[in-house]
Amino acid sequence: MALQPRIRGRQAHIAGPTFLAYTPNGKKLITVGTDNFCRVFSTGSDDEPITVDDIQESNHAIVAGNGFFITGSEDGTVCKFSLEDHKLEDILVRTTLPVRDIALSPDGNWVAVASDELVVKVVNTKNMSQIQVLRDQPRAVKHVSFDTSGSRLAVSCTDGNIYVYSLSSEEPNMIKKVGGMIKSLENDAEASSKVLWHPDGRAFATPTAGREIQVMSFSDWERQRTFKTGHSADITAAVWSPNGALLATTSSDLNLCLWDTKSQKLIKKFDNMKATILSMAWHPTENILSYTNNDGELFIHTDIVPSEHASLLAKPVQPAPFFHDPSEGRSGAPNGISNGAKLDLPERRARRNGTPDSLDDILGPDGIDDEDMEDFVIDDDGAGYAGLNGHGKRPNAHLALASPSSKRRQYASSAPFRPQIHEAFQPGSTPWRGNRRYLCLNLIGHVWTVSQESAHHTVTVEFFDREFRRDFHFTDPYLYDKACLNDNGSLFSCQPHNGNAAMIYYRPHETWTTRTDWRTSLPAGETVTAIALSESYVVVTTSTNYVRIYTLFGLPLRVYRQKSSPTVTCAAWRDWVLTIGNGPVGGDGKCQLLYTIENVKRDEVSQSEDIVALTPNATLSSVFFSDEGDPYIYDSTGVLLTLLHWRTNGQARWVPMLDTNSMARRSGGGKEESYWPVAVAQSKFHCIILKGADKSPYFPMSILSEFPFQIPVTSAPKKKKDDKEKGEDEMDEDDDERDKAEDTTSTIYLEHAHLLTSILHAQLTSTLSHTRPSPEQNQRLTDLEFQIDKTLLQLLGQECLAGEDRGMRALEVVKLMKNANGKMLDLAGKVAGRYGRDVLGEKIRDLAEKRVVGLDEDEEE
Amino acid sequence: MALPLPPGLTPPEIAFLCEMELVTVIPRQRLEGLELLGGRLPPLNPPHRTPLPLWLALLLKRQRRANILPPPWLAPHSLTAILDHETNKEEGFSPPPRLPPLAASSTALAFSPPFLASSTAEAAPDALPYHWLEIGEMLLEAASDDFEEPDSVRKLLRGLREVRMAKLRKGVELLYADGGIQLNGVGAMEVSEGRAFVTGVIDNLRKIGASREQQRKDRDREDRENGYPSTADYDDDEMEMQ
Repeated sequence: MALQPRIRGRQAHIAGPTFLAYTPNGKKLITVGTDNFCRVFSTGSDDEPITVDDIQESNHAIVAGNGFFITGSEDGTVCKFSLEDHKLEDILVRTTLPVRDIALSPDGNWVAVASDELVVKVVNTKNMSQIQVLRDQPRAVKHVSFDTSGSRLAVSCTDGNIYVYSLSSEEPNMIKKVGGMIKSLENDAEASSKVLWHPDGRAFATPTAGREIQVMSFSDWERQRTFKTGHSADITAAVWSPNGALLATTSSDLNLCLWDTKSQKLIKKFDNMKATILSMAWHPTENILSYTNNDGELFIHTDIVPSEHASLLAKPVQPAPFFHDPSEGRSGAPNGISNGAKLDLPERRARRNGTPDSLDDILGPDGIDDEDMEDFVIDDDGAGYAGLNGHGKRPNAHLALASPSSKRRQYASSAPFRPQIHEAFQPGSTPWRGNRRYLCLNLIGHVWTVSQESAHHTVTVEFFDREFRRDFHFTDPYLYDKACLNDNGSLFSCQPHNGNAAMIYYRPHETWTTRTDWRTSLPAGETVTAIALSESYVVVTTSTNYVRIYTLFGLPLRVYRQKSSPTVTCAAWRDWVLTIGNGPVGGDGKCQLLYTIENVKRDEVSQSEDIVALTPNATLSSVFFSDEGDPYIYDSTGVLLTLLHWRTNGQARWVPMLDTNSMARRSGGGKEESYWPVAVAQSKFHCIILKGADKSPYFPMSILSEFPFQIPVTSAPKKKKDDKEKGEDEMDEDDDERDKAEDTTSTIYLEHAHLLTSILHAQLTSTLSHTRPSPEQNQRLTDLEFQIDKTLLQLLGQECLAGEDRGMRALEVVKLMKNANGKMLDLAGKVAGRYGRDVLGEKIRDLAEKRVVGLDEDEEE
Repeated sequence: MALPLPPGLTPPEIAFLCEMELVTVIPRQRLEGLELLGGRLPPLNPPHRTPLPLWLALLLKRQRRANILPPPWLAPHSLTAILDHETNKEEGFSPPPRLPPLAASSTALAFSPPFLASSTAEAAPDALPYHWLEIGEMLLEAASDDFEEPDSVRKLLRGLREVRMAKLRKGVELLYADGGIQLNGVGAMEVSEGRAFVTGVIDNLRKIGASREQQRKDRDREDRENGYPSTADYDDDEMEMQ
């Protein structure tokens, strides 16, 4: 490119730190310095600037809004000036110690003041009696910065931490303390630790101690990409371009660099600075970067972005540099555990992102005249949120982040009618967080992948049983995004990319011959939606609604089209394959989920297109088979359900086994946690407890927790806990009352135990009737029968104790007995006799006799 | 025969008994069930939680074959709550865990500490069991990496120990011939620690009391012999007592 015309510095102030700000419409540029006036420059004119006098000396910060600007001075005053008559309007707030930084909210209503005091004051610019005080930081504050929505304030403290406050509520509260991002700096250091909110609102960046710019995503506080700036001294100022496509950094090594956000590559470096630049601001719309140095000079650098990159500035708001942009395909992510609707269709996703070849890209920056939106939103502190994008619209990416479902619903409501489709997911996998994610997590082990800088991933497979299986790890050029793991082997699948078709890769753990891993690719254009691995088959569901079943040696066995579509997920256990797809639209405007269970070996369908029973607006979080081979689902409301009698066609029904909301550990209230389902084994629910608003487990893996089944019968468990606590306190008083309470709770406990064992018994009976039972299973069945009777016997004792008038109920309890070993009814008679319930005893004997005579008595009733 | 050991159990003996307590482990390796003299041990199957006696858990932990899941009362927040209770309440110790309801059949053994599951992952989070100090110390020593915040747990345990020992010592002030302190909720190790001191104090009190007792007996005898109370002596006595 042609050599830049030499940029002439304007001596705005006497030598000393100088700062500047653009008004939101970009017409005016205001500078402050050490002397007691400030200057107002007009963009595009070389005239002598207007001088505003009656101002404090040694100003350290300035922001400008529509028609006003605010300065912060070392003597602790924050003054508001009018831009129309250039007069002092108000002294907004006074601090006892020097003001270091001020920030203006995007709507221009609030100004945050950082001073050497320990607190940050947020003052209303129109009514200075409205003040919010932020006090969580232990030391003085160097910088403050509003995010693009203006509801959050990032405070860079001199102790080297960033404190992020939420200002949306009545009382401001700190939402996060971020350590290790910024350097601990002196109050008056030239170096900067300012938080730079990216214009798309989902991430922010800060200069680090290593003189880099580190990007951090706002939603999960994960470190994202870095700009390796190569400055040889601390960074003194950095600023995103209004659309976030470029980043300008400068440091006291007298270099000024421009970076491309997308690739984090250097675009241009200016190394002819004469003094350290302390403040930079992009013109909101034009290709101008203005900066002031510590020598009182102002530079208005027109055409700073070289012409070959100038088109970057004209683009709409660009996404922040994530490792894995959460807005890009969330394939295989069962992230519906907590949030509501998951309904983005693949084709809608693409449109919402910045369109790569939009009309504006083609037409160039002049495609739309920007005259009529000159005075739109303010870009006062250079955070760039004013970014009018190429379509002349305000970026709304941050809104999408805050409430994805509401936005989508809006979108859907503007369309005539659009059923909401359940998004496909892979059970046991997590979405990307930072540069890593779990592909599969179950009781055998876990598979996780890390995306590396160059275009490959590294996949690691770890087992819980370290001795039995050796952990392994490999470099993955295919970018596998789904995995399954079981005792025999691991299965991976990748989406088509670089012209290669989607592929499936099976790797057995060990064999008695050489390792027989195999790969097979799907027809072109077909993508994988879910995979499942059982002890004998590999199941793949695809975007074309095919279910493809292979043997463990890669032999394609069946291909058929799933009746319900689009497919959601699948699971497999031995010969059984369960597939779930979107069915007809239900009452809540969402597709009902339908499942099919089929036996591959016998080629029989045991349940065809039956409904996955979910409550309205609930979504499916996971589906898996237990170690006994019963299907379980876990939904977004936190309920674990199992399918009973699923081997008999038409008999299947969903039975809740555990409601995580009514568990005893939740009874205290205030505990905000969710449970990420892993498996059901040995009649226990294995999960990972997620604290707070987390949606998926992260590294290092937390310990698996296990909870016993607890069928939601009454709200008793809660009461029981209360009683227990009360009992603790009043240990020695009221023994009677406590006994009574204990009686009712133990009755409820027994009732629950009976229901649970009956369900487990039914489950096992139905399993045994279709498989060849092992001796252990038979033993378990008799144990369960015995347990049912034992529970009922205890229940009978309780009923007898309760009084004569409960006799009917007691008899009913006796009738429920399985009488497995033939002695239970005798025992029941004895129990009745012990409590002196003779009539009941008589009836029990009658019942016993009838049972001995013939079982047809059961059918009469 | 003179025993070289003080009466009662020594701390190593208590620690040994404590090793029979069950703790929950997360095995990292398969192990068949073991038939031992002390009873049958369940098979280990990673990553299923299994209750094991502490001695085996520590052994497996040292060999890196298992992770020990600290009981819920060893979590910092429950310890903090118990410590608050101890410091705020002047008298008495924090209550011991509630006993499970007695089994219906009368043949079942009575419940006592090593046979109660008071230190497994399902234990009550709000009460210190009988062997709290020993288990806490042993787990912190052998399995500190299984704790989320081992240092704060260590600090809290130390705090608890000091508070409770102070209470125990303060209770000694009340010890006289017919006095006593309630030891509900006191752990095994604390009893053992306090035993030497408390029994020593009581013994000495008894000795002091014995001479006075002897005096009184002598006087009574004299009275009986003389047939009337010797007032002069009585006055002397009062003087002495003052």
